[in-house]
Amino acid sequence: MKKKVGVYICHCGGNISDYVDVEKVRKAVEKDESVFLAKTTMFACADSNQKEMVEDIKDQNLDGVVVASCSPKLHLLTFRAVAERAGMNKYNYVHANIREQVSWAHSDNKPGATEKAIKIVKAAIAKVRNAESLDPVRVKAIKAVAVIGAGVAGMRAAIELAEAGSEVYLIEREFFVGGRVAQWDDLCITEETGKELITRLYDEVMKHKHVTLFTGAEVVENSGSVGNFNLKVKVTPRHFNLQCNPGELQKAIDVCPVEVPDEFNFNITKRKAIYHNYPSEYPQLPAIDVKNCTRCGACEKVCSAVDFFQKIEYLNLKVGSILLATGFDPYEPKKGEFGYGEIDNVVTFPQFKRIVHYCDDKLMYNGKEVKNIAYIYCVGSRQVDGDNKYCSRYCCTANIHTAITVKKKYKGIHNFHFNRGIRTYGKAEIWYDESSRLGDIYLQSFEHDPPAVEKQGDKTIVKIKDVLTSDRELEVVADLVVLVTGMVPRKENSIGNLLKIPKGRDKFFNEIHMKLRPVETVIDGVTIAGASQGPKNIMESMNSALSAATKSFSLIDSGELALEPTVARVDEQKCKWCGKCDDACSYSAIDKIELDGRTIARVNSAVCKGCGMCLPVCPSNALDLIGLADKDMENMIDALLSNV
Amino acid sequence: MARINPEFTDELKKYGAFDANACYNCGNCTAVCTLSDEENSFPRKMVRYSVLGLESEIQTSLDPWLCYYCGECSSTCPREANPGELMMSLRRWLTAKYDWTGLSGLLYKSLAASIAAFVFLAAVVVWFGAYEHFHIETIMHYGHLFEVFAISFVFTFILLPNIIHMWWLTVVKSGKHVPLAAYFKALGELVVHMFTQKRALGCDDNQFRWLEHFILVLSYLSLLFTTVFLDWFSTNSMFIIVLGYVESALIFIVTFDFVRHRIIKDKEISKHSQPSDWLFVVWLFMMGLTAFMVRLFIDLNWLDDNVWMYIIQLIVLVQWALIIVPFGKWTHFLYRSFAMYYHKINEAAV
Repeated sequence: MKKKVGVYICHCGGNISDYVDVEKVRKAVEKDESVFLAKTTMFACADSNQKEMVEDIKDQNLDGVVVASCSPKLHLLTFRAVAERAGMNKYNYVHANIREQVSWAHSDNKPGATEKAIKIVKAAIAKVRNAESLDPVRVKAIKAVAVIGAGVAGMRAAIELAEAGSEVYLIEREFFVGGRVAQWDDLCITEETGKELITRLYDEVMKHKHVTLFTGAEVVENSGSVGNFNLKVKVTPRHFNLQCNPGELQKAIDVCPVEVPDEFNFNITKRKAIYHNYPSEYPQLPAIDVKNCTRCGACEKVCSAVDFFQKIEYLNLKVGSILLATGFDPYEPKKGEFGYGEIDNVVTFPQFKRIVHYCDDKLMYNGKEVKNIAYIYCVGSRQVDGDNKYCSRYCCTANIHTAITVKKKYKGIHNFHFNRGIRTYGKAEIWYDESSRLGDIYLQSFEHDPPAVEKQGDKTIVKIKDVLTSDRELEVVADLVVLVTGMVPRKENSIGNLLKIPKGRDKFFNEIHMKLRPVETVIDGVTIAGASQGPKNIMESMNSALSAATKSFSLIDSGELALEPTVARVDEQKCKWCGKCDDACSYSAIDKIELDGRTIARVNSAVCKGCGMCLPVCPSNALDLIGLADKDMENMIDALLSNV
Repeated sequence: MARINPEFTDELKKYGAFDANACYNCGNCTAVCTLSDEENSFPRKMVRYSVLGLESEIQTSLDPWLCYYCGECSSTCPREANPGELMMSLRRWLTAKYDWTGLSGLLYKSLAASIAAFVFLAAVVVWFGAYEHFHIETIMHYGHLFEVFAISFVFTFILLPNIIHMWWLTVVKSGKHVPLAAYFKALGELVVHMFTQKRALGCDDNQFRWLEHFILVLSYLSLLFTTVFLDWFSTNSMFIIVLGYVESALIFIVTFDFVRHRIIKDKEISKHSQPSDWLFVVWLFMMGLTAFMVRLFIDLNWLDDNVWMYIIQLIVLVQWALIIVPFGKWTHFLYRSFAMYYHKINEAAV
């Protein structure tokens, strides 16, 4: 029971004191038996006041502090730091919110606001009276990071982590690295190809002895928590031996009777069950797609490197942190959306990129030469009716860049851009400029009046009410219609489900705070990078990859983690293990243990968030929250119910 | 529903130097234009039509003629798309479209064709002089006759049908019903604009240019009258002789100033000279100068020994009357004033 509590009541300029009589609040609480001093201050967060608080705590030997000011979201940490600077345990500080919860909410009723403020401050005093000094929970951290996804973001993060001194496990589900970037050819702004970027990153990854790359690998089980994750990884074999003669390989591909749509080319071409996506792809070893392989054995007869005896392997990896860089899927238009799937010369932007890749001197599609290309923007992004309200960021720039490439590569191309406002932000504006100067035509409509694609005889017509031509109805005869599709989260999200990564409204992985904590998730120790978090271009993916790598590394670097001590605890005598707390916990923080012959629950304090969900479900009231125990709550409620 | 024709700008570029594709539709050009108003909004609309290649919309529009090219839009354009020169090119293109013979288009687009035509006519005149043994009185007699016949012929067979064609495109094709009385009521507009170019005063800081142009038009028309109907080269009337001197002198003085501006490119409107612009001002200058010199030679009794002076004047005159007047920039004199006339008529349409 504390006897020397200091209370500071903030004016917040006038934000509080215009509605709350702060002097009255001060007088009302100063008589409290625990309160040693009570002051009002113009700005509690000001440097001068912080210094005064430090002096008060030291000189007067205060044993608890309350500041009544704004929301704890804004300044709880500020005043905890004040307490620490004064040599007081920071958990002896309690924050009372009399701005958001009082002055702003009750600006119409000043006497009532003052009365409520007094009660809230009294409740805070009631809490601080029994506050315990707490020390952070310390856990050991394994100096290894699992990076999931070997696209540009994952490879960049892996290199960075390895250079910093961490052991890195780079886990890729596909048989080849590079992700989506390997599928693009020419890239905007640097004019390199996707393959070149991948080659450079792959070479660096391979140089590092601390990076271990797994392809055809998937995380199937996860246990533990920040600092100590245990991952079970399933590695699917390629069914190829490392020594593979290129001539025999080609024969094996030729004899393979299985043909499936080639996802690498967004299904515009077919591939065999034995495949590599392009000849110089990394790792430079083909793979057999066992899902589609019929085991006819034809390949084995012509290629000695084929090995059907390779088995699925399971590995157990121990890591301190997990970095997710699982990328995105391109939006797949619905059947009939702008004629997709119904009109034969309507394709998506990723398909178009692959078509351009395969056409050398003439742009051909379906056996016909393409001259007039209509691009329809924002397909699957900025939807009025659908769920994808977001802008996919990369598409305007990528598409305009491709349109310029096409115009320069082939003769007689005319580009028509049916857009909803071009967003070639930042440095990419130069591409918009170049495309206009090359004679590309931009037509614009609003979201409620999109362009329409129609078949008239053997012609494909795109119509628009063009806002740039005072809403005139205009039409273009298009040889090819390109739907500029945006980014959507990966359909296959087993890793996200396994790690319980929350998703945002856009269904991408969600960070804790968009601006302040952009690469961390609420699952401690798991960071996110690249387009798994939301639409990004390569540059932005790299930035987030480096940022996530640094964040993951900072967790494991010292080999030990200091975690918040305000977590749940089990009264070992009361607990009879019914499992209800385990069911209620969203973080899997409850373990079942044996103690003196009894089965009871134990809280893994490295995982527990202190959310309190387990408390009300416990039939024997064996759970309590450190720093916010039932007793504290009751004291606060009593204070709130007391008469002023 | 209008179909987009991306090839159009390539065609239009043969008529002038602009970069309509650079346009990003900000509309600054229309905002700064002092002649553009809500009903007749330009030049942005015409820039857009040109980019999209909406030929029939442009053909039926009078907007290009309502612009008097102060150049403010071009100097304000953030993309340097040069909308002022685009409007100028559209006027050239329209001149070619109105012309039933198709020769205007050919001469605008091909400098070689223009030079060939000029050389051919010069050769014909020299050949004719030789044929008449350079007998000055005979040549001057036919020269005078040529003037009378050339004016009648060009007007009847070329200019009149073209003006009717313009009427068909810009008035009839709009589909609006125009009461007959409107044609009479609007006549005043035609006369005022033909002789004063009043609308050009609406351009900012344009008073001096307008005054020069006004003097030039009046001098040109009166010199035409003085030579054709008052027979300046043969008259003995002191009044007519002096009148002719003043008129021809004014023509070459004003056109000299125009040529000077086009050379030093000190204003937006004189920056982008096409061959048709040079031919027009230079030939007008030479018309004034050679006519002045011929009369001077007559008065000093030098002409009989210097027939070449008259031959040169006749060459300039023939080229002017048979190329520049029917197919060249001279036509803007008619199309501009008729555009104002048709515009007034369209306003009266129900």
